[in-house]
Amino acid sequence: MVFMAESEGVGIVPAGGTAVAERPAEITVPQTPWVTIVWDDPVNLMSYVTHVFQTYFGYSKTKAHKLMMQVHTEGKATVSSGTREEMERDVAAMQEYGLWATLDKADEL
Amino acid sequence: MKKFSRRRGFITTELSGYEVELLSSLINQLVELVSEGEPEKYGSDADPEDFEQFVRELEVDPDQPEEPSDPVLKRLFPSAYPGDAAAASDFRRFTERGLRAKKITDATTVLQRLAETEQGAHPLRIPAEETEAWLRTLTSVRLAVATRLGIADAETAEALSDLPDGDPRNFMVSVYDWLGFAEETLISAL
Repeated sequence: MVFMAESEGVGIVPAGGTAVAERPAEITVPQTPWVTIVWDDPVNLMSYVTHVFQTYFGYSKTKAHKLMMQVHTEGKATVSSGTREEMERDVAAMQEYGLWATLDKADEL
Repeated sequence: MKKFSRRRGFITTELSGYEVELLSSLINQLVELVSEGEPEKYGSDADPEDFEQFVRELEVDPDQPEEPSDPVLKRLFPSAYPGDAAAASDFRRFTERGLRAKKITDATTVLQRLAETEQGAHPLRIPAEETEAWLRTLTSVRLAVATRLGIADAETAEALSDLPDGDPRNFMVSVYDWLGFAEETLISAL
């Protein structure tokens, strides 16, 4: 390949050592800045909401029930967090089940 | 109807002919509503009276889908980004067609099992792999009936349980309660 051939003899130095030296002291863990929120509604049955959280998210019955109760008593609950794409998928799935779901940036809650 | 129960891998109950007819009718109305605005409607056998609507819809920018105006559709496909119209529109563009199709697929599964009862002559038998489609469809129908009844919160829901005799809404309230019973016992039987 021409591109490779032209690189030859230019004196490119392997960058291994340099890269280590420039690595920041603390590696920041990527945030998961988006959340899926399920809102309370007067129609969906409590048993159904719990069932959906268990079925779709794979949450334990205890966790699913706790989230359902949070929706019921506080008016809403954050049911998952992740990338924006992941949260759009979760919101669409919740809408598929007839739950009233929206997504938002985690820090705007 | 009796409660749903589990029997040899099926979720089963017995419905009267009237109940089969009623539920099928509600589901068909849901399918019709959810199918609205889909391009298939404007095929070669399209009703010429739909032409004006067709023209109107042409004027709507397909890249900026609007929130549906029907309150039931608004509830079935709520805005995913309440504070961001552009993002909400994008989300609608990427998901709404699929969500509508899914509702129709689920409804078709349910209608098929209802038809197999031959107007309630045979027990209703739901295979395990179809229970989610049943739950989603019963939920969609309940959301539609509740919206038409004006159920917006716990108070409006509560008020409907205390309507005077002869109130025209009594029938739909009884249908709504029946649907709730069906869904609740279906979940219990899983």
